[in-house]
Amino acid sequence: MSGASAGGPAAQGDDAGCPREQAALRLGRHTFQPPRLLLMAIVNRTPDSFFRPGDTWDESAAMDRVHQVVAEGADIVDIGGVPAAPGQHVDAAEEIRRTASFVAAVRGAYPEIVISTDTWRSEVAREACAAGADLINDSWGGWDAKLPDVAAEFGAALVCAHVGKQQPRTRPFRVSYSDVMADVVEQTQKLATRAVAAGVDPARVVIDAAHDFGKNTWHSLEVTRRLGEMTATGWPVLVSLSNKDFVGETLNVPVQDRLAGTLAATAICAWQGARIFRAHHVIQTRQVLDMVSAIRGDRPPARAVRGLA
Amino acid sequence: MIVAAALCPAPPLLVRELTGTESVLPELRQACLAAAAELAACAPDAIVVVGPAEQTGEWDPRTPFDLTAFAPGLSRHAFASTERPASAGSEHGQAGGLPAALGIGAWLLAAAGYQGRSVLTSVAHDEPTRRCAEIGAGFAAAPERLALLVLADGSARRGLKAPGYLDERSAGFDAAVEHALRTADPGALLEIDSELAASLMATGRPAWQVLAGALGGHPLTSEIRYSDDPFGVAYLVASLRPWPRTDLT
Repeated sequence: MSGASAGGPAAQGDDAGCPREQAALRLGRHTFQPPRLLLMAIVNRTPDSFFRPGDTWDESAAMDRVHQVVAEGADIVDIGGVPAAPGQHVDAAEEIRRTASFVAAVRGAYPEIVISTDTWRSEVAREACAAGADLINDSWGGWDAKLPDVAAEFGAALVCAHVGKQQPRTRPFRVSYSDVMADVVEQTQKLATRAVAAGVDPARVVIDAAHDFGKNTWHSLEVTRRLGEMTATGWPVLVSLSNKDFVGETLNVPVQDRLAGTLAATAICAWQGARIFRAHHVIQTRQVLDMVSAIRGDRPPARAVRGLA
Repeated sequence: MIVAAALCPAPPLLVRELTGTESVLPELRQACLAAAAELAACAPDAIVVVGPAEQTGEWDPRTPFDLTAFAPGLSRHAFASTERPASAGSEHGQAGGLPAALGIGAWLLAAAGYQGRSVLTSVAHDEPTRRCAEIGAGFAAAPERLALLVLADGSARRGLKAPGYLDERSAGFDAAVEHALRTADPGALLEIDSELAASLMATGRPAWQVLAGALGGHPLTSEIRYSDDPFGVAYLVASLRPWPRTDLT
């Protein structure tokens, strides 16, 4: 695999492969400057997602979850209708039925919140954007080539994820890379460049290492360890770490016991410059992000008195 | 001639940025700013800022006050730039910038909108009482119309959670200081025992005694603007107004 080639959004005219300054990120009507770390809260409209399955399958329960995560400090609500793992087939019509009207309901309740639609299908993304979604979270890394066109048409943002050679809703099977991080950087930049060519605003393109997707635990740990190589491209980096198998296998803990490991990985990614954090646990993640921001010097302490009186 | 005087404590937390997002003790900050503004309103020829430090001496007012000594990384925050003259040449200053008490005083004057001349004088922590009084008397004898901003803290041993833990003697000690100011009798501050003050971590002792030397024996009125110890350090804010103003020399 070769290394980085395409330049990030702040890199016009710059040499490829050099560390680049992060630029402002635009989501919906909002513009977020680099030091601000954004929390994307997961809201599943599924009966069978891996974490708390069926918890927000009921629409009123899903809206309660939205009320909760907004109150807890989420910047983005990520609404998905299909689990990442294989299982019961969900076609596009059913996915739209699960998500589009709910996106509209969330938009009605929260005119300012950034809404993300977690889908790999352009027809679903189209309905979600029409209903008010600001961001298309293409977790399956460009499977549907028409997705960037939808983002461009609606002025939406697009997450460009690395999934290796995986098809949607498949698990990695004996995957290997000569250099997984080089592949992540190369593929996500390729997708980002493709998105911009399709007319997506460069300030609305995000890249995602996609932990666990097309990766075994060793790969996800390597990607975490070397995340700075992604942030150095200049594209804003999203990480989705929450309660994933690489945390579970690293610590040998079941899904309900992965919060501490998730937060450790969150801190490491934040330290290396990731800007969007997709998470189940909003309060704890927010605290980790605020703490790392303060350690980095990007944010003052909330209330410093010790030794200053 | 002293046309007005103010007494303020000098905790770094007075500088708004140093406490982070939350404003801590805004009422103390407001009291200090009001006292400083009153000095500026007298339109003095200069405001003399007096505070305790390692050594006695006069400081070039262009010497920067280095907030990052208290808050490394502060300059990386957008909110970090209250320092006085940004152009302050370090060639005029000492390594490390102004002593904290003088820096706080200079910060207060700037925050209160004062743009006139200031004279920054530090007095050593162990400066004998007599010498402190002489320094104060020197300001009173000056031909110019001077205002005096004295930075001085009471005991830092006023409670179990105080920086210096509890010393039962601190209450009486600080009460005596407050009494001297409340009754407009700064001369009484000359009676403070230096060793007791040091053992009570009352760092304001030499500065109080400069104030005593400057104003002791003159007819005054006084106003206590703040007196409390929310973090175990006695903070006292007072304004002293010579009366009548014209015949004080």
